[in-house]
Amino acid sequence: MTRRAAVALAAATLLAGCGDAPFDRQSQIGPNPVLPGVQQYLTPPNHLAKVVGWKQGQAPSVAAGLAIRPFATGLAHPRTLYTLPNGDVLVVESQGPGIEPVLRPKTFVMHWMEARASSGGPTLPSNRITLLRDANGDGVPDMRTVFLDHLHSPFGVALVGNDFYVANTDAILRYHYAPGATRIAEQGVVLTELPGGPIDHHWTKSLVASPDGSKLYVGVGSNSNVMENGAEAEHGRAAIWEVDRASGAHRTYASGLRNPNGLTFEPATKQLWTVVNERDELGPNLVPDYLTSVKPGAFYGWPYSYYGQHVDPRVRPQRPDLVARAIAPDYALSSHVAPLGLAFNTGTALPAHYAGGAFIGEHGSWNRPELNGYRVVFVPFANGRPSGKAEDVVTGFIDGKGQARGRPVGVALDATGALLVADDTGNVVWRVTAVQATASGAEP
Amino acid sequence: MPENPSSTARIAGHPIHPMLVPFPIVCFVGALCTDIAYARTADLQWANFSAWLLAAGVVMAVLAAIAGLIDFFANPRIRAHRTAWLHGMGNGVVLLLAVFNNLVHSRDGWTSVVPAGLVLSALTVALMLVTGWLGGELVYRHRVGVRS
Repeated sequence: MTRRAAVALAAATLLAGCGDAPFDRQSQIGPNPVLPGVQQYLTPPNHLAKVVGWKQGQAPSVAAGLAIRPFATGLAHPRTLYTLPNGDVLVVESQGPGIEPVLRPKTFVMHWMEARASSGGPTLPSNRITLLRDANGDGVPDMRTVFLDHLHSPFGVALVGNDFYVANTDAILRYHYAPGATRIAEQGVVLTELPGGPIDHHWTKSLVASPDGSKLYVGVGSNSNVMENGAEAEHGRAAIWEVDRASGAHRTYASGLRNPNGLTFEPATKQLWTVVNERDELGPNLVPDYLTSVKPGAFYGWPYSYYGQHVDPRVRPQRPDLVARAIAPDYALSSHVAPLGLAFNTGTALPAHYAGGAFIGEHGSWNRPELNGYRVVFVPFANGRPSGKAEDVVTGFIDGKGQARGRPVGVALDATGALLVADDTGNVVWRVTAVQATASGAEP
Repeated sequence: MPENPSSTARIAGHPIHPMLVPFPIVCFVGALCTDIAYARTADLQWANFSAWLLAAGVVMAVLAAIAGLIDFFANPRIRAHRTAWLHGMGNGVVLLLAVFNNLVHSRDGWTSVVPAGLVLSALTVALMLVTGWLGGELVYRHRVGVRS
């Protein structure tokens, strides 16, 4: 206690962050990340890239052997991508519910920052799903329709048979989908209510169906950074729910996951994986966001601890009983990169190097002086487990002046096996192909 | 009897500075109370109260400081009192502590109060006892701002 008091007092009288030794970010990528000590600030670093958008002809950079072109532009905050069995691509365009009350003076500052970082503007129609049909697979959609409109901050979608599910921020809705349909006009049926308001701090509800189609899995993010809005606000949150598709009944599948997104089943092992946004304001290199398989019934620490038993000093009362059974996730992605999208490469159209691994969309950091994330990375997999270092696949979302031309979110494979990337700040869906595939196309 | 040192920032003969100083005093004393309540209960409502009280306190303290500085610099007879210098500089430190305390209170949860926030709140109030006393000296002994 004395030592902690001394540290906190030192922090109160000195400006933090002066003369920090350079930190190797690579040391926080992989199964055993280096975790520096907790560093609490007087003013946490609020560095969010200013949004400038893409100019005509500009595109992200891709790794060797790959090519990238816009698949669709002029979208309104596209976040999730989903390929239907007939090859149609659904683009979930979504905006947050914006109902977070100003509980503290700090909230003013946070809202102002978030407003700077978003785009699309309130005037563009959003909270809808756009359908893109590219019948000949040349990377240029032949048809674009509004598939489903008037949704409530949607994020995840899933199709099981002819049942199409949308995870709004406050409920899973079910619609009838006729194969080949380009529009759904009916009102959806509520399958399961989800924790939406009040507050709704982390509002994105990721959704995936189990391989046998009997269950749905939903990511429900926390209602705060580290429970500073009170324990009651976190009921049912920071967890992955398992929803019975027939009855709509749900149970907690795994908990202590601060903000789980990109729920996906690994194709070889049929195990559920997720990417998780970990907590902020403990330092530029704490806490690493991560990719993990989801063990049924497991507790991953939030808010009481991180990476197993590393206790977070900001939470009271502490819960040593829960900390004792907290497990560490599988694979760290580096701190504050904000992973929101995850897709396993089940196709063969991309270079063999990418076979079977995971693509991850990293939305990008705000809580560290040096930007981190703002890219799509690839984590190689072997035998259903990560088997190497994450590598950059799509970069260049930040320009030379440190301004954001775009920010990647959802990733998916299209019917040809090309990688699609939703860019919610550039308002573009990008399509990444092998170089050979482009050579046979219209452009060099 | 010489004339009393007069206030410059005043409304209808009433100095503005003493009208404003109760706000930061009450806010900072209140923040110490809510900090203690949070430290004892871990109920986040109290920490939120502290954050609001400290923010409002700093805004009102700046306004009070402006009125006080106008009086101080506009009248050499006020500046002639050593007590006035101590009162002003002491309250400058109070304001500085409170600004730092706002930043500490912008953290999330327990460490927004315990221990640094609570210590800063206590120091702020302790120093205000001294500077407040000095302010009283200026008015009730040296009759600063009192109509002759």
